[in-house]
Amino acid sequence: MAGVGLVNVRKSYGAVEVIRDFNLDIEDGSFTVFVGPSGCGKSTLLRMIAGLEDITGGEIRIDGRRVNDADPIERGVAMVFQNYALYPHMTVEQNIGFSLRMAKLSKREIAQRVASAAASLQIEPLLKRRPAQLSGGQRQRVAIGRAIVRDPEVFLFDEPLSNLDAELRVSMRVEIAKLHQRLGATMIYVTHDQTEAMTLADKIVVLRAGKVEQAGSPQDLYDNPANQFVAGFIGSPRMNFIPAQLRSGNAAFAGGIHTVPLDGADQDILVGVRPEHFRVGGDAADVDLKVDVVENLGGTRYLYGALPDGTQLVVEARDEHGIKAGDRVPLGFAQRRPLFFNTSGQRLADLS
Amino acid sequence: MIGRTPWWSVTIVAVVGCIWIIPVVGIVLTSIRPPSEVALGWWRLDEFTITFDAWARVWGQFPLAQAFWFTALLAGLATAGTMLLTPAAAYAFHFLKFPFRRLMLILIINAFVLPQQVVIIPLFQLWRDLKMIDNIGAVLIPYVGLSFAWSIFLVKNFLEDFPKELIEAARIDGCSAISTLRHVVLPNATTPIFAVGILQFLWTWNALLLPMLYLRSNVPLPVLLTKMSGTYESNWDLQSVAAIVTTIVPLLMFLVFQRYFAAGAQTRSGAKE
Repeated sequence: MAGVGLVNVRKSYGAVEVIRDFNLDIEDGSFTVFVGPSGCGKSTLLRMIAGLEDITGGEIRIDGRRVNDADPIERGVAMVFQNYALYPHMTVEQNIGFSLRMAKLSKREIAQRVASAAASLQIEPLLKRRPAQLSGGQRQRVAIGRAIVRDPEVFLFDEPLSNLDAELRVSMRVEIAKLHQRLGATMIYVTHDQTEAMTLADKIVVLRAGKVEQAGSPQDLYDNPANQFVAGFIGSPRMNFIPAQLRSGNAAFAGGIHTVPLDGADQDILVGVRPEHFRVGGDAADVDLKVDVVENLGGTRYLYGALPDGTQLVVEARDEHGIKAGDRVPLGFAQRRPLFFNTSGQRLADLS
Repeated sequence: MIGRTPWWSVTIVAVVGCIWIIPVVGIVLTSIRPPSEVALGWWRLDEFTITFDAWARVWGQFPLAQAFWFTALLAGLATAGTMLLTPAAAYAFHFLKFPFRRLMLILIINAFVLPQQVVIIPLFQLWRDLKMIDNIGAVLIPYVGLSFAWSIFLVKNFLEDFPKELIEAARIDGCSAISTLRHVVLPNATTPIFAVGILQFLWTWNALLLPMLYLRSNVPLPVLLTKMSGTYESNWDLQSVAAIVTTIVPLLMFLVFQRYFAAGAQTRSGAKE
């Protein structure tokens, strides 16, 4: 088992710099998720750790060793690809055992290790089949089997679930979490899906345009986002951002009806409130929400609507049945103190 | 009805097919009738006797059997050479990085526009100076070398669609460049390799110019055919037999392997399309 360190890592394609001065310490045995919109460099970063992509500058360390110029095999990493990358001409058994065959292990040992990998993923009945005869979920298991059979120090996952249907995605997510508990290996996982990031990670690294926006535990990122980008990216549905004015120690928003005391110079600001932090109905209502669409998920429902000044909001209404599109619903902000951002998206220092 | 071939296209194809088959029928008929009967044309049916005299005599009068085996040897070796070297070269050009890669590729592909006739004289002088005239290598080397222009182009085009993740997965699994080629690329590239092999085989089996100029003692079938005509008086029947013997192998080859001509890239790593 080994930790991974990235020190001032840079990557450029010609004049275009896609990763700049990237620093990150990934602890031994942790589950780290790189998350960000497409094109943010998260896959490139993973491929640089894998050794599939040269790095332009800086240093990558695995288990304290500098591995900048090492082949993937010398780095002790295994990778699971988005589209599985199973060898189409080999059976499942041969696919899983291929790396061991390349490492010139004895036939007996290969058979043994393939069998135990297959057993742990419950794919023994598939061993004689070829990838084309497998379903998406089965292929993904084989791809994971190919990674675990080598007993690597670091597992790399490149959006492994994005080709699966929704139901399978959830169950494979749980399996990957179990796998991490069982193996205790360092895992680095790339996704654009914040739900996967929240549910799997010990540590989430939010990336944008090749830079770390924020790194921390999922709860930390949810409670204390450093800026508007992270606040908007983590959490589903997205956080609401309501334009407001900070005037002499009070933030006024929703047409000036609601005010919150806030330190700082007078300026235009944004108030961030998560959909789940509104209070719907009740007497302490601050503003009215005109509901346009109700998404009923059974246990909870999301109200899409607008404030009187036109600001679009998403609000979670957990217990209020019977709200219909077109209704006016009293909303309270008081459930939790909102977050404040300046107009360039940086979080403002707050009383709490 | 959708999906049905219209009657007129069937008719046109049938007519064209008949026109194409007429010379073949002519050759076969000429080979099995006495020369006197077909002197005015193989389609004359005034007298009609079938004799296998020519089929029996030709082997004794000309070294047809020897030429047959020699042609097979030449075409076989040249085809094997191309089938072994082309995928390796295409793989290197497509997936590996090395200095002057682009320049070398452009040079090789540019041989496309170079007609064979242009290189014949300089090549002849080279072989003469190297004392390679009448050496099997004198034709094998240009056979294989000249095939690279189109064969590398063809296989490299196929590799454009080859899933890059498979190459990367192989690297993660500990493959070197060579073992990636052997274990991952070649098993999934049989279609273009066979297509190249078949084309190369047909081309080298039918080749006339190079062996005629560079070989002396042992000659392949097309060269033998040219030597048969005019050497003796009318021997149309014998020439027909030799022509059939010469054509039959490429024809069978085509019939057996024709699906490779139509097949496209079918390698997929297993992702949902």
